[in-house]
Amino acid sequence: MTDRGTVRGQATTGRDGTTPQGVTTFMAESCSLPFCKGCGHGHVLRKLNDAMVRLRLDPSKVSLVTDIGCIGLADSLFSLPHTVHTTHGRSTAFATGIELADAVLADSRLKTIVMIGDGGAMIGLLHLVNAALLNVDVTVILCNNYLFGMTGGQNSAFSPLDFITSTTPRGNMIPPLDVCGLMTGSNAGFVARKLATDPDLGDTIADAIAHPGFSMVEVVELCTEFGARRNRLSGTVLRGIVESHGQSLGVLTSGTARGEFGTVYSGKFPPNGEKAGGRGDGFILRKFNATLDRRFGIVIGGSAGEKVQSAAATLCEAAAMSGLHSSQKNDNPVTQGTGFSLAEVCLDPSVVEYTGIDSPDAVIVASDAGAAQLTAGGIFGRCRPDTLVVCDADVRIPDSPGTIVRPALRKTFGPTRAALGALAFALGRLGLFPSSAFIEAIRRRDADLAGMIEGKAGKLASPEDTSSTP
Amino acid sequence: MIPSTEAGWKVRLRNGNQMVAEGAAASGCRFFAGYPITPASGIYKGMIDNLQRRGDLAISSPDEISALAYCVGASMRGVKAMTATSGPGWALMIETLQYALMTETPLVIAVVQRLGPSTGGATQGAQGDILLTEYCTSGGYTVPVFTPSTAAECFELTVHAFSWSETLRTPVIILLDKEVAMTTESVDYTILHTPPVANRVVHHGARNGAAGGGGDRNGGGSTRMYDFTDIADVPPFIPVGGPLKVTATGSAHNKSGELRKNDPETLEMLRHLEEKILSRAAEMETIAADPQEGAGTLVLSFGITARAAREAVRKARAAGHATSFINLKTLFPVPEASLRTAASGVDRVVIAEENMHGQYRGVIRHLFPGADVRGVNRVGSMITPDEILGAIV
Repeated sequence: MTDRGTVRGQATTGRDGTTPQGVTTFMAESCSLPFCKGCGHGHVLRKLNDAMVRLRLDPSKVSLVTDIGCIGLADSLFSLPHTVHTTHGRSTAFATGIELADAVLADSRLKTIVMIGDGGAMIGLLHLVNAALLNVDVTVILCNNYLFGMTGGQNSAFSPLDFITSTTPRGNMIPPLDVCGLMTGSNAGFVARKLATDPDLGDTIADAIAHPGFSMVEVVELCTEFGARRNRLSGTVLRGIVESHGQSLGVLTSGTARGEFGTVYSGKFPPNGEKAGGRGDGFILRKFNATLDRRFGIVIGGSAGEKVQSAAATLCEAAAMSGLHSSQKNDNPVTQGTGFSLAEVCLDPSVVEYTGIDSPDAVIVASDAGAAQLTAGGIFGRCRPDTLVVCDADVRIPDSPGTIVRPALRKTFGPTRAALGALAFALGRLGLFPSSAFIEAIRRRDADLAGMIEGKAGKLASPEDTSSTP
Repeated sequence: MIPSTEAGWKVRLRNGNQMVAEGAAASGCRFFAGYPITPASGIYKGMIDNLQRRGDLAISSPDEISALAYCVGASMRGVKAMTATSGPGWALMIETLQYALMTETPLVIAVVQRLGPSTGGATQGAQGDILLTEYCTSGGYTVPVFTPSTAAECFELTVHAFSWSETLRTPVIILLDKEVAMTTESVDYTILHTPPVANRVVHHGARNGAAGGGGDRNGGGSTRMYDFTDIADVPPFIPVGGPLKVTATGSAHNKSGELRKNDPETLEMLRHLEEKILSRAAEMETIAADPQEGAGTLVLSFGITARAAREAVRKARAAGHATSFINLKTLFPVPEASLRTAASGVDRVVIAEENMHGQYRGVIRHLFPGADVRGVNRVGSMITPDEILGAIV
């Protein structure tokens, strides 16, 4: 930003993005307008230029974002502001991105102006809505000429009832969208509908740009090539068309108590906050020695809401405290809060490569829902004789070659601690790493819980039971 | 048993999504716009957590089209930007990705593959978007695509993706799969590799536009939007809001950013978009090669399948089958020279990927004339080490 203010005739930009002297025009001095004879677009753009000059905007702090369509040619006519010619309908979204980023930059105070037609507004309605909701400092000039001019005069969502277009040869049967109503409903702070022929159009555009936060001016025009001729209309009937749909003209909404996006955001998240990327905390260091000398796969099945996956995470944490690598894969129904909850954990003294468990070394069954899902996945059939299956005493599971143990997990530990208790119990028998590592991993989260698990797991009755049903 | 990583052991339990978010923060990413989608939502949440507390911007968007458009706008304003999605959301982003490519706007997109087509299986893994990510442009322009196979590689390749995106001024994709993205692993930070962090080169020329030139845009002697000499040069970046005027368009344009049709400079600009990337293909390459002397078979894989492949190669070697292995962390630009070199002397190339027909195999098999090129493919679940072993021995 070293040469800010070097624009001809312009001093340093003030905090409000204006300059004391300003420039005389933002447009190319030699530009010839590419629009059809009688088209209002050129007139609207000159009013926009007048407004920017009058507001003494610093051209380097203005971005003009244009859509597709005739009005989208506007960028090529402005030689001073930044111009971004975008894809169809998305201009407001690109503009929103520019302003969102601007909100967190130290030299922020960019004014972003979108030039869009009714076709672009139709395809990008959601972007208009969201820009209004966010209240980014974007001004949308929506040039509504009731149809798609550049592609041959097809109807848009803005075409009046009974309007003849190339694609509504017997007259449009769908009422037009009240985009100003939509913007008002989207909490836009400044909304106006003007005729291109209104003498105060430039004033309204200037007011819209000066408004801090989102603003929109719908400028109603008639496409001379496809609108006026086919419908035998002239510009003088525009007011009647607008009013026939119950739509109002003028500034419809002006001024809200809502803060512009950047102000609100920096209030919640002050600039230059924490610099750390979150890498300085929460490391697990090695405190125990594992005895495990091969990959070990544990599958845990239980019910949603019963802390199955967090029990598995505690297992991995304890393993890491013992110098073991781990992987943990979770599974649950898409609704998340109901049905089964599964976790598959691989422990390995080396890096875990393949994370699948084709034949489990241990299976924990904490609930009926878990048993059903494990059964559906064929887990019990894939057990080996040395696979330890720890299943709640009251849960039914199918026959399995594994070594089945049936402690009263749910009664002893409670439903939400059954998986955790089962793991503590299983680890005591498996000897993969010291049981104290698991208890310490629990203690890091909840000291009371660690005491409870340690006490109950140690005393848990463990009836050997190779039959599949209680 | 003493763990193999005795030298250092500072571990966090992290999944691939979380490590992408950490990698983005380490890269200096200041902008994230997201829309939730399984299995990529973890990146969105991670970026909210990482960026907002720093005073940088992370925000929800109303759809994936907006998410990427916000990123393009933010990057044009001058900040490093990123979004994340999965197949259905990626489909919506393709128009905007092309816009970023055309306007030479750097950004990173994390695409986390899930089972397709359409909404497919949100929580089922897949590697079926290889071609959909690479060949997403009209004209078939090269989009760099990096594929991590572990949570640690998610970190490494996200930094790598940002650096190349900034260096090349082009969108870069980090292509995860659900299994890598959502499987939590022990990540040892003492051996976590952080590639060099690059920042875009910003133009410091005189103000362009009419100010100094007497009325015509980009008139006499003023700075051009895409200011470069050699076709493969990367023009210095001009931010929206800076002292130099931005003239950007998604339409074909000359070096001043002005919409043009078939004039020579405009056609040169189109070739430039491709040349700036292809000319740096070798530098961008990050493949992890594990060659074996006298190997008769070369195994190629990427993402979650690379891990099964590594186990398969280990078993094959133990059984006396000399086998070389490459974890393809760079899919595009295709690391052609390295693949040809790695395959010299082998009579079989095994390419394992979790999709129906072997998408990447179709792209690279021409590099191995005369070799027996075998695919190991599967849809709906992870490929196992034994399946790959079966193709090796």
